[in-house]
Amino acid sequence: MSIVIETRELSRSYKTYRREEGGWNAFKGFFNRKTEVKTALKTTTLNIEHGQIVGLVGANGAGKTTLLKILSGLIYPSGGEALVLGFKPYERKSEFLRQISILLGQKAQLWWDLPAADSFGLLTSIYSLDPQQAKRDWLGLAEKLNCVDQLHVQLRRLSLGERMKMEIIGSLLHRPKILFLDEPTIGLDVLAQKTIRTFLNSYVEEHKPTIILTSHYMDDISTLADRLLLISQGAIVYDGAMEDFITHAEKNLNLDIKSEETDFEAVIHKFFEKESRRSQTRRPQPN
Amino acid sequence: MLWMALLTGMKMNSLGGFGREYYLAYSLWATFMGRITTNWMYEFTMLEDIDSGRVNSILVRPISFYEYYLSQFLGYKLVTAGISFVLPIAACLVFHAPMHLERLPLMFMLLVVYLVFTHTLSFCIACMAFFMNRAQSLTGFKNLMLWVLAGEMIPLDLYPEPLRTWLIHSPFASGAYIPVGYVTGRFGHSLMLQSFVSVAVGILVMSAVARTLWALGMRSYSGTGA
Repeated sequence: MSIVIETRELSRSYKTYRREEGGWNAFKGFFNRKTEVKTALKTTTLNIEHGQIVGLVGANGAGKTTLLKILSGLIYPSGGEALVLGFKPYERKSEFLRQISILLGQKAQLWWDLPAADSFGLLTSIYSLDPQQAKRDWLGLAEKLNCVDQLHVQLRRLSLGERMKMEIIGSLLHRPKILFLDEPTIGLDVLAQKTIRTFLNSYVEEHKPTIILTSHYMDDISTLADRLLLISQGAIVYDGAMEDFITHAEKNLNLDIKSEETDFEAVIHKFFEKESRRSQTRRPQPN
Repeated sequence: MLWMALLTGMKMNSLGGFGREYYLAYSLWATFMGRITTNWMYEFTMLEDIDSGRVNSILVRPISFYEYYLSQFLGYKLVTAGISFVLPIAACLVFHAPMHLERLPLMFMLLVVYLVFTHTLSFCIACMAFFMNRAQSLTGFKNLMLWVLAGEMIPLDLYPEPLRTWLIHSPFASGAYIPVGYVTGRFGHSLMLQSFVSVAVGILVMSAVARTLWALGMRSYSGTGA
């Protein structure tokens, strides 16, 4: 299996500015700004093979989206390097961008004032796709997602669930080799979540893209992912197969994972609690 | 109306060597050119896109942010100009103001090239959103400067030397003064050809500035909103 995503000591820090509230402090900020450097992603070395579906799990602010943003070319890393399909993503070459897609949950990437069909027509031109094939593709995807009737309605007039379906179609239209899904089911009702998971499952079986999926819903991860990356405070704390995590957690946490009383989400929660306690005991105590 | 009032108040038939009819034609055409070449809407949109993170949807696709908004800007302006051209033509005919209809196609071509220059300036302003909040404040300043430098309000002939000569050779004069002088018969083809060259040089220079600002901006961009 070829490696399609590799990172070598990849890291990212953000510089933020602090000032106190009020007009006078805003004025003082022109001359004396206090800066803080926050490390969102610590040195990360990863290899992801073609066709893998990687579930990226972590608390808010753990660094999941930062990793996705670097790998999709939205931002530069602060250190290390990343290669996606042989390209440095932050160089944002056209050949690279034609082969990837990123879906950001609750963030519209289609054109708000246009019906989805018009947006797909525009994407057909942007990605230089064959117009007739592209139309067949989006109609086929819309049938699978049961949203053909909404194709000619302005995106702004659709419900959240319907918009997400259109966003998914838009992100798959050019048959990307790599998909970055950042919380694709966030804010959706249970039925819509299930529809999207079922659809993604069947899409993956048919087209075999490589996917990095982040989600706070463990059903997304357990249904779709075959490899798990747990990220905590910018660092990868677990990287391995889903089945191995359950065994690892069973030994590490002394839990009977296969018991009906314990679910995957609860195991993840306990894992993070344990990691948090470990990092606190390693910290030097004040005198 | 301002120029008519000035000439009437001073009891003169000409000012700076130009008669009433010329000032009327100049006002009509310069105002038209100014409205067509000004870029508020798309500059604000580009600024907002970068500020809010909506630019992400363009960054992840194989299109350039500059070209994406250039195509929208040109499409909007060319349709607007095509319809709006009727007004100064009709007014010049009604008031018997000087106008050479056969010169309109070349004037229109200069307008298109100047719009590319305007868009490149706007792109540079939009890139400031990577580095500062409320970069929209630069838009008003830029448009006011262009209004003065293009000779929209006052023909550049009334400016003191050497400013007048410098402005005539700069790309800014192609925003109003030179195309208006051409269509009213005051200037010949040579000054129009010079305008094409100066606007082209202006586009090259501003494109280099735009590339640099964009590269620096993308280095500091944190993927807002993603």
